[in-house]
Amino acid sequence: MKRVEVRLSIPAVAPLLDLIKSVADELRVNLAVPLALSDADAELASVWSEDLLASQRDDCDRLFSLFDQEFFSEGVVAFDRDNAEPVLRACAALRLRFRATHLEKIPDDTLEALEASSSMGELNETVQKAFACFLFLDELQKIIMKYLDPMAVEEDE
Amino acid sequence: MILAAERPHSSPSAHAVAETTMPPRWRVVFLNDAVTRMSYAVMVLRKLFGFDETTATKHMLEAHEIGRSVVWVGLRESAEAYVFSLQQWHLSATLEPDETS
Repeated sequence: MKRVEVRLSIPAVAPLLDLIKSVADELRVNLAVPLALSDADAELASVWSEDLLASQRDDCDRLFSLFDQEFFSEGVVAFDRDNAEPVLRACAALRLRFRATHLEKIPDDTLEALEASSSMGELNETVQKAFACFLFLDELQKIIMKYLDPMAVEEDE
Repeated sequence: MILAAERPHSSPSAHAVAETTMPPRWRVVFLNDAVTRMSYAVMVLRKLFGFDETTATKHMLEAHEIGRSVVWVGLRESAEAYVFSLQQWHLSATLEPDETS
């Protein structure tokens, strides 16, 4: 994958970063996907949790390294073979965490309908911002996946 | 001395059991979630298991429809490694003994 530069809207994205960062902070000590191992594997789960948290923290750090001086001056973020997969994983983890916390009261079918329409009118202001973060992270995933595999994203739509 | 050297180290029956008993096999079960983008799940399944697009999509749809899909069966150590990798990509998965083996 060659280096890909993407221009984002600073006024649209910058206000979301504080909330995304606060959710990323939660992911420093909580797995986005709780381990689903049986009780017999409790020891294994304990060992894995530390390794998975370390990986999750590293991925989120890679995501936030996108929003550097170049982003705040030009609105540009850049992906390459080194950061694409970590950022993709970070987006997945953050979306799962948003769903489990800030967006937990919204039923699955309602959230799906909101995603399809990108409409936020029915949500209160706090949830609107969380939902905007949820959509932004999805867009970021789509952009990266489009460059990793141009056919992949079309199949979702 | 010669007789002792020619004597088998274990009884014939124990030797036969050691040769025919297969190690237990384990399933890697991919679990559905309602948040993750379908194309992301397919991409990860292809990447980790080497599936083609059709096979990965079949597993993704099976998990989407019935909540789970057995994506791999084999030795415990490898099964653990696959579940760990799926978790690293934030796809939920578990291990279970393969009762059919």
